[in-house]
Amino acid sequence: MSYNIKIQPGGTVCEDCTLEGDITIGGGTVIHPRVTIIAEGGPIIIAEYCIIEEYSTIIHKKSDKQENPPKPLFIGAHNVFEVGCKLESPCGHVGESNVFECKSFVGVDVKIGSGCVIGAACQLTAPQTLVDNTVIWGSEHHIREALEKQPSQLLQLDFLSKVMPNYHRLRKPNVHKRQPSRQSQESSPKP
Amino acid sequence: MAYLTQLDYVKYICSCGQLKPITSLYFCRHCLKIRCGFCICHEVDSHYCANCLENMPSSEARLKKNRCSSCFDCPSCFHTLSTRATLAQPRQPVDPAGGDTKVENKQPKKMYYLSCFNCRWTSRDVGIPDQPVASGGWPERANPFATRINQLLDYYKAIALQEKQEKLERERKKFSIRGKYITLTDKTGLTGAMARNIAGLPSNEAGSSSAIANFVASQASEEVEQLPDDIYTKEVNLKQITSMPQRLASPEWQPASVARLHPVAKLLSVKRSQRCRACDHNLTKPEYNPGSIKFKIELLAYYHVPEVKIISHEPVKPGEKTALLVKLTNPTGHEMQLRLLQPEDIPPVEDREEPRSIEKSLERSLNLEKDASACRAIERPPSYAASSVVATPVGALTLAQRDDAAEYDDDTQHDADHIILWRKSNKLALRLEVTTDASAADGAPASTAFAIEYSYRNTVPPSSTAAHHRDHTLYTTVLLDLGKVHA
Repeated sequence: MSYNIKIQPGGTVCEDCTLEGDITIGGGTVIHPRVTIIAEGGPIIIAEYCIIEEYSTIIHKKSDKQENPPKPLFIGAHNVFEVGCKLESPCGHVGESNVFECKSFVGVDVKIGSGCVIGAACQLTAPQTLVDNTVIWGSEHHIREALEKQPSQLLQLDFLSKVMPNYHRLRKPNVHKRQPSRQSQESSPKP
Repeated sequence: MAYLTQLDYVKYICSCGQLKPITSLYFCRHCLKIRCGFCICHEVDSHYCANCLENMPSSEARLKKNRCSSCFDCPSCFHTLSTRATLAQPRQPVDPAGGDTKVENKQPKKMYYLSCFNCRWTSRDVGIPDQPVASGGWPERANPFATRINQLLDYYKAIALQEKQEKLERERKKFSIRGKYITLTDKTGLTGAMARNIAGLPSNEAGSSSAIANFVASQASEEVEQLPDDIYTKEVNLKQITSMPQRLASPEWQPASVARLHPVAKLLSVKRSQRCRACDHNLTKPEYNPGSIKFKIELLAYYHVPEVKIISHEPVKPGEKTALLVKLTNPTGHEMQLRLLQPEDIPPVEDREEPRSIEKSLERSLNLEKDASACRAIERPPSYAASSVVATPVGALTLAQRDDAAEYDDDTQHDADHIILWRKSNKLALRLEVTTDASAADGAPASTAFAIEYSYRNTVPPSSTAAHHRDHTLYTTVLLDLGKVHA
């Protein structure tokens, strides 16, 4: 497996995490220690200002009907992956300003819009598409629609990117010039 | 912890015949009997809000409809709502480009809204404007049927008053017919109604009777609004429709669409005190402060009755003898003499009515009215089926008093014999033998019962009137769940 990890300037990525495959991490994103991101079925692109907390797992799974070249898993900006959440997706698309609460699980074939909240310990396994601003919560997976997107965590991001270097070894940003063209290209084929 | 997370393997028989684990039983030190939640009086001590811990007298609580005025529950998931602050620019529309309006502008104003941490419902979702103050000031919705409800309330109050007066009147008539003697009221003639009668004034029932006279019963009408034409064809969006619990949480409005959900004022909780019905002594009394979880009086069976726990047992087989290991604990501060008995061998409770002093019986007859059947506990023989019989050892066992420092010294007494497995400060493990009925069916629940005779030292300070015994011999019956019968 080729290890091709690109961290754009401003990204805070702890050394103590498992990153495998072709992964691009946007500026301003904070990745805590003990995070697992595996891009075995295609590249994973994480946009700016995401928070990925401890023990969360993002896997781009290999699938049989894979296109060539493989389709990337694109994770939009301002997403929050809380402790212990799991996202498995071969070609799923994740919009922006979503919150994956603690211990939540999003299986394959789940398309997630923007501003969605997958509540703590909620398991999404069936193929489905979450429209924008969907909130799923509780053990019975109640669904409601929020009026507006979840507020962004900019203050928390600021704090984390200041504090994290004091206590953890970090991976250095290795892409020095920004690639705005590539970003816009990736975000355009949004459904 | 085992009592919270596991099944109740050991049950005690309450004096009213209920079977309960020891943790949900009380022990009245004055009657020297085990009581349970069914045979005691529950009284409301104080009302308080579980969120802001503000307490209020019951009259105020009734006035506020038993709801807190400053705390709210989420109308969507019924979790407590939290107040969140945002910085907002006054007189400036929200920037449509991004959700963030926290631009360093001159004097951004702090605004507050309610938000649920569980389902992320916010007061903005239903268009409630943000508030400039952190607590209070939330708009209240008026009940659309307020006038009708007040009318009904007035009407029923008037009826209740009328019935009460009629009853009083009847009582007085009965009394005047029966009694030859001049009663206090006859002599002074000083009831309000009588005085009015004598003076020729209209009776004071006029106010209430007008409420009754002016009351209009509601009319059922045959014409109802037509259903909209597209009721069967329109696609239903379940996200827009409230669930039954959501509607019933606010019975005044019963919103049908989620856009009409409104924060629900938090219901108040109560602190309860428990009272023995036989002797009117308090069994538990919590501290008044809602923040405190301590009790001023706490007569729990767990602190007074020897505790029985099953250590292990062999699988119960019909017609065979199996071993059963139990642990006995003395929770009291005094040494305890124990004897195991068959439940049938408990001597019947001697009637304590006899040595009752004349004053006491007089007091009882005076209190006759209060002593109605409504507040008497119903006692019935306990119903349980014990498939196995415990061979009870002859002879008394001694259990040392509870000693909190005992766990620090490690001298275990080794007086183990064929019955006593081990002994450690106030604990004692016994090896018992269980004989199961030969006719017990395979898979049937196996249980056994035995009685404990134990000495109990009463620490209630002696009262001047009653003859006081310090030491008592008490009995309790314990039912053990031994799983299932294995044939």
